[in-house]
Amino acid sequence: MSGKISRQILLYGIVCLAILAVPLLVDNAFLLNKYARYLIFGMLAIALSLSWGYAGILNLGQAMTFGLGSYCMAMFLKLKTVPIHTGSDGLPDFMVWNNVTELPWIWVPFQSMPFALLAGMLVPALFAALLGWFMFGGRVAGVYAAIITLAAMVVVNLIIIDQQSYTGGFNGITDLAQFDILGLAFDAYSASTYYLVAVCLTVTLFVALVVSRSKTGLILQAVRDQEERVRFFGYDVALYKTFIFALSAAIAGLAGMLYTIVMEFASPTFLGVPLSLSIVIWVAVGGRQSLLGAMLGAMLVTGVQGALSETEAFLETWTLVMGGLFVLIVLFMPKGLAGAVEALLRRIPGGERKGDARPAARQGSKSQPHLGGAL
Amino acid sequence: MDFVVAQILTGLSLSSILLLVALGLAIIYGVTGVINLAHGEFVMLGAYCAWLLQSQFGWSLLASLAVIFLLIAALGWLIELAVIRHLYDRPLDTILATWGLGVMTQQIVRLTAGGELRYVQMPPSLSGSVNILGATDSAYRLFVLAVALGLFLLTWCIYRYTSFGLKLRAITQNRAIASSFGINSARAYRLTFAYGAGIAGLAGALISPLKSVSPEMGTTYVVDAFMVVVLGGVQSLVGTLASSAVLGEASGLLAYYSNDTIAKALVLIAIVIIIRFRPQGLFAPRVRA
Repeated sequence: MSGKISRQILLYGIVCLAILAVPLLVDNAFLLNKYARYLIFGMLAIALSLSWGYAGILNLGQAMTFGLGSYCMAMFLKLKTVPIHTGSDGLPDFMVWNNVTELPWIWVPFQSMPFALLAGMLVPALFAALLGWFMFGGRVAGVYAAIITLAAMVVVNLIIIDQQSYTGGFNGITDLAQFDILGLAFDAYSASTYYLVAVCLTVTLFVALVVSRSKTGLILQAVRDQEERVRFFGYDVALYKTFIFALSAAIAGLAGMLYTIVMEFASPTFLGVPLSLSIVIWVAVGGRQSLLGAMLGAMLVTGVQGALSETEAFLETWTLVMGGLFVLIVLFMPKGLAGAVEALLRRIPGGERKGDARPAARQGSKSQPHLGGAL
Repeated sequence: MDFVVAQILTGLSLSSILLLVALGLAIIYGVTGVINLAHGEFVMLGAYCAWLLQSQFGWSLLASLAVIFLLIAALGWLIELAVIRHLYDRPLDTILATWGLGVMTQQIVRLTAGGELRYVQMPPSLSGSVNILGATDSAYRLFVLAVALGLFLLTWCIYRYTSFGLKLRAITQNRAIASSFGINSARAYRLTFAYGAGIAGLAGALISPLKSVSPEMGTTYVVDAFMVVVLGGVQSLVGTLASSAVLGEASGLLAYYSNDTIAKALVLIAIVIIIRFRPQGLFAPRVRA
């Protein structure tokens, strides 16, 4: 077992090093910006893989936490904008247009950077913890939990669009200052921002790996497979589920903050249904029960999409192909590409894991062991 | 008085549309347990069929209704055969698969029929208005209401009084035991899915003269329909009727009094709370599991 764990760490490390090495080969600011976006999508996929793949909570509203993080960062950067972009008394421009005369209380603490950085992760986590406590405390699970997460996201999205004078409404928050910390400036179109994102991604991946390998991670997987039995063992199932739900939200919040830095704006579409659906597709394609697989799935799908988006007609067809691919993967490859690769690897060395070829009790992803795989 | 009647009529019209759209979803969900997120796309396809038959072949809307029902039902039959039947053991995956199917359908329509809005003519015989207790209402809206109630009654009678309905009820209670008594549950599921899809298509066709037809129109309907089903209770057709009446009248009132966005947010929050505390729905009878 320990040999397998170290092999897994090695694999994860190599992938992260490869990601960190990209700016050595690519010297195009525009491309680096694009790649940084793909890395952020990879973080989102890790977040969903934690809650969906490991704990069985299908979060159809993952974009809600992403958007909240993004807005926290945007509020902070907006207040840092050089006064020429803002209205009188340093008010953000859209507030002046909406006849707001003084900074709303909710904006005031965002003048401080430590607060904003913390809030970008804690606000989504708190939201998720509340929602999780509400759902899992009442033993809402499965399909119903999925619908609640979706509804919650739509509500937050509607409120953000509606409260135009505080959030910029439909247009979101634009015209942001550059992010800089400890004297380091992060221009969205530069290698430094790419490194920032890549380092955050690496840290996230390994934190997620540690959590999934911990006792908590094991209990969560047990909950996913047989919730009732875990409850009868005396574990507080709701607490564990709420924890992973909040952790996943914090990761998505971090990704949202980075996204604001990379995109230089925040918009209500960041909390939209289409993005949420995309995240689910990435994770399904990559493999929901593999953190690395989910992450690479996100990069692969968005990468191909980005390459095709040069031509309008291709992009239209791509959506169609993506939908079809998604349905096929749900039907025939519940473990995604990671599962396929793992099965392939298992066949090559021959006989290494023959013990696992137990007959699946039910047709489905539930009962199959997957802990040993390197992915 | 006129105002009250008019307000009630507006609400009833909204209710009838809700009932039409939700009926198919309720049948499918109640019998097979599948949350069909492609339901809105069935509605949209029904509307596009009506548009196509009218603009290309000159059929009047009323004449094309039966054809549309059969077309969309056949599509539903095929989808069940190809996709859904593999997923009955994995409820979460049915959400995903039907979502994917919905995206595909939207995209196919956008690529073939174009993304612009389409309009369907009202049948000329129903384009007048009717006077009820001092308030006037369009004859077509009343026609839609009548059709919605008729379809509901038909479905209820099938469910209640035919041997097929009896089998459905048995499967709903316990699929394994029903199968062991010789009921072909796979066939029943397929027929149910086709019937639900057909009704959705019919709903789309009937709605098409009232709203504009676009590839995205299904998305709003699936959310509304789902709310109706959740509120009404999963296994209760009468609940679906009651909740579409309640929701229709309520949204009529809310739209009159307040901001649309906030009203919608409030309704969603209410739904979340209902799911949390009464997942079996407001109007559901106690069913032995």
